[in-house]
Formats: sequence, C-alpha cells, structure tokens
Amino acid sequence: MRRKSTFFFMDCSEAAECCNKAQYKEANLFNKAKLLLHLVYCKTCQRFTKRNNKLTELVNQSKIETCPEEQKQQWREQIKKEFAEGKS
Amino acid sequence: MSASTLDPNKWVDRYSDYLFNYTIVRVNDREIANDLISETFLAALKSAKNFKGEASERTWLISILKRKIIDYYRKINSRKGKAEVKIKYSDDYNEGEWLEEQVADQFDKSAEDEMENQELGLAILECLDSINEKHAEIFKRKTIDGVETEAICNEFNITASNLWVIIHRARTALAACLEKNWF
Repeated sequence: MRRKSTFFFMDCSEAAECCNKAQYKEANLFNKAKLLLHLVYCKTCQRFTKRNNKLTELVNQSKIETCPEEQKQQWREQIKKEFAEGKS
Repeated sequence: MSASTLDPNKWVDRYSDYLFNYTIVRVNDREIANDLISETFLAALKSAKNFKGEASERTWLISILKRKIIDYYRKINSRKGKAEVKIKYSDDYNEGEWLEEQVADQFDKSAEDEMENQELGLAILECLDSINEKHAEIFKRKTIDGVETEAICNEFNITASNLWVIIHRARTALAACLEKNWF
C-alpha cells in the first residue's frame, strides 16, 4: 500500500530511514511513533524492519573489531616499502 | 575483481580487519596478533611470485597466516619445555572427583556459542568484502567503531543524508548476503 507522507503518515523511504537511524539510536521519538504507525499497515516495511533489527543483533553478537588506523597505516607503509624493494 | 592477480597496496584496506578478527580469537593478544599479521604481509610479498591465482587473495593470505599462528604456538611450546598436567586433589578422600569436574557440562554452551560468534564475525566481514568498498568502510566506521554521524560525514566529506543512504544500501546488501550465507 502506498501512502504519501503527511503529518502523521510516513512513506516507505522515510520509514526505512527512521528504522536505520533507530538501529543507531538516532531516530527521534516522534518519527519512531510514525514508524510504528506505518508498520501497522505496511508489510514490506515490517519485513525490512525485522531483517534490519536482526542484522544489528548479529553484528553485536559477533563482537567484531576493526584494527586501529595507526596500525593499518604502519602496515601500509611496511608493504609499500617492501613492495618497492622487491620490484627494483 | 580478478582473482588471479595480487594487489598488495590494497591488502590493508581489504583484509586487515578480517585477518585481525581471525587472529585475535586464536592468540588472544592484540600485540601478538598485530605482529603475526605483519609477518603474514611480509611473507606474502616474498612469495607473491608463487601465487597462482587459483584461490582468492584473502584465502591465500589466510593460509599464510595460519602457518604463522601454528609457528607461534610451536615456538612458545618449545620454550615452555614439557607440558604440565595439573591435578588438584592430592588427598585420598577427594580423589577421582577432579575427573568428573573435567567432563564437559552439556548445559554449558558458552564455549560453543563463542565459537559460533567468531565464525559469525568472519561471515559478516566476508559479506562486507563483497559490497561497495566505500559503503563497507562507512558501515564499519558507524556500526563497529561506533563513530558519531557528524564525525564520519567530516571524514568522508559527505552530508548526513548521504550517509544514511549509504548506510541503508550497506545494511540491505549485508542482510541479503548474510541471509544467503549464514541463516
């Protein structure tokens, strides 16, 4: 069902954006209320929200880390240097 | 992306997070993990000639890293000398009970969960590898490093609405990839 956004209703793209922001706790309360209202009648967004929440859950559960940028820079330089030496 | 050529200048951006997460669960020490990854990159550069292009770059790097991890454990084991066996109870009365304590508690699933989570982490990073590189980078900064929206916008010189569009694409692609490979 397609509905244009009005004061109380959001369209699907707004709903998706709000849902994404909510994953990072950056959605505002009023928009979250509008999202809930939107989810009452929109099957597509229900599915999207469920999947999106699941993704957040999995990422948290996995406890992945990224390497600090300084360490990466060090590796980059190391590789660059070795690579150049290997070529010449 | 052709799988048959090596591109060492991209290794750090493409694989270092994957290699790091692979290593950290196996050696459990950041410094050692970083050293092992350094050694891996160097060894890979040295043997780049031998790369036949049959495997992907990442698989190839992981196979080198595996050797480095095994070597590391060999080294610390030979340093230690003999293996120690600890038996806690010395008195006759309690003898035998320690054996029962060593038996795995079937209700204690935490070790298994831990292992599954490690694999999950690598699956997520693998999927991130398959989506747009810039999107993956921004997704990681936002989701894994937890950097503020504004800081990321400045770093990548994009607007907040750009950021949310990128996050949306990355999340959708990532969820689809994980659904195929994980669930």
